[in-house]
Amino acid sequence: MNDTAIKNFESALSELESIVKNLENGNLSLEKSLSLFERGIELSRYCHTRLEAAEQRLEVLTEKGEVGPAPASLMTLDDEGSL
Amino acid sequence: MTDLFDLPSDEPMVPSEPVRNVMTVSELTADVRLVLESKYKEIWVEGEISNARVWKTGHLYFTLKDASAQLKAVMFRSTLRHQRFRPDDGQHVVARGQLSVYEPKGEYQIVCQYLEPHGLGALQLAFNQLKQRLNKEGLFDATRKRTLPPLPRKIGIVTSLDGAAVRDIVKVLRRRHPNIHLVISPARVQGDSAASEIVLGLQHLSQIPGIDVIIAARGGGPIEDLWAFNEERVARAIAAAPVPVISAVGHETDYTISDFVADLRAATPSAAAELVVARKDEMEARIIRLSDRLRETVRDSLQRRRAAVHTLQARPGLAGWPTRVAMRGRQIDELAYRLSQSTRDKIGRRQRRVHKLRLQLEGLDLGRQLGIIRNRLLKGRDALVSAMRENHREQDSRLRVAASRLSTLSPLAVLARGYAVCWSADRSSIIRDATTVAPGQDIHITLHHGSLECEIKKAE
Repeated sequence: MNDTAIKNFESALSELESIVKNLENGNLSLEKSLSLFERGIELSRYCHTRLEAAEQRLEVLTEKGEVGPAPASLMTLDDEGSL
Repeated sequence: MTDLFDLPSDEPMVPSEPVRNVMTVSELTADVRLVLESKYKEIWVEGEISNARVWKTGHLYFTLKDASAQLKAVMFRSTLRHQRFRPDDGQHVVARGQLSVYEPKGEYQIVCQYLEPHGLGALQLAFNQLKQRLNKEGLFDATRKRTLPPLPRKIGIVTSLDGAAVRDIVKVLRRRHPNIHLVISPARVQGDSAASEIVLGLQHLSQIPGIDVIIAARGGGPIEDLWAFNEERVARAIAAAPVPVISAVGHETDYTISDFVADLRAATPSAAAELVVARKDEMEARIIRLSDRLRETVRDSLQRRRAAVHTLQARPGLAGWPTRVAMRGRQIDELAYRLSQSTRDKIGRRQRRVHKLRLQLEGLDLGRQLGIIRNRLLKGRDALVSAMRENHREQDSRLRVAASRLSTLSPLAVLARGYAVCWSADRSSIIRDATTVAPGQDIHITLHHGSLECEIKKAE
């Protein structure tokens, strides 16, 4: 529970869930609940960051399956979807 | 009906007393209708569509024809709505329906229940057989379905770059989550090469690191155009993909084999995009809920504890504590004061002693030593001064003796006795011989007091 390394989004999320459950159910000592709280805040920050981290990219594979740029027609699609 | 009466009469009319059973047109037509409807209750007929037209009522009227005959046909609005394939002029179709008569015009026609393009029957059969076979293999099993990743790093898409599907997907994803990474593997989605291109696209995307979900998409169209997604190769490639595959082919009513094999079926390409980001939205909401609960539960638990402390403080056993603590405080202050007093005293005593010692040191020891040294120094200096004075006096008298002796020896003393010294005019040499000078020459003569500038009158 206290190992500080966060493996990935899924494990962070499930750890966060179990921390909240623990805090809500258990009669934990003040010290324990505060340290769990800190860990929980850390995990929720991590999850938020992961959700926002990805950058927008659009790539198109070549006939050989190699990554290449997208044609302009797709890049310039606006919100209304008109070209 | 008049034709009937115009038939060439090969047989002679029987001139019997005919029982004239005259029917009205309506009666006859109704009768014909009954006969036709019961005889041709459910028939399949094949032909080419012409004059197709949808009336305001929403019913479709057309004519089925072949080289030598025509058949009026109608498809009512309620049936037409479920028709996946849109009938149009020139299409060669197979129709299923019932013969009937439109009495106001006396026309017989087929009321169609179902229409399909001619030749589709074979495809449909193939579809059904493949579906059965794959189902038996377990490819459609619910246990095989993978859940979508909550946070796909990259989203792979197999579709045509020219189609509406790709634009719909990109549009939805851009609008919903601008920070999303799409990798598109272009593939033709109709025609002979479609199936192999879709399979290749799925394989290529499977090799791109970071792709966590793949959408196989195609916009709506006639069922024949969607056919690639009914091919076994495509179905197996979807099943073999290492990540969940969403199939999004055609419209909501179109089902393909791919839809059954895929981990998730989306009604349309746009819907597929929504499914992918909905998962992300759901995650976001979940995390926000969790961190809210986290804060609340800790706040609650702190409040509970604070309240508990207050309650305890109010109890009689603890109630006197503040006073007692204050008393102790005073005690401590006093002690501290006394402590500082005694310390100050001690320090004072020490300082006084140091002072005394210093006085002793200065007054007694050093003072005496210095006095002695100073006396010795003074004595020494006096002795030195008198010795020097003595020495000086002796030198002085010696100097005086030497000076008087020196003056008796001086050539100048001779001048005092009356002698004079005769010089050349420039006083560079003394004249000792009269031959060295000539008459008229200037000379200089030094006397005991003063000197003379002279001119020689005669030299002998």
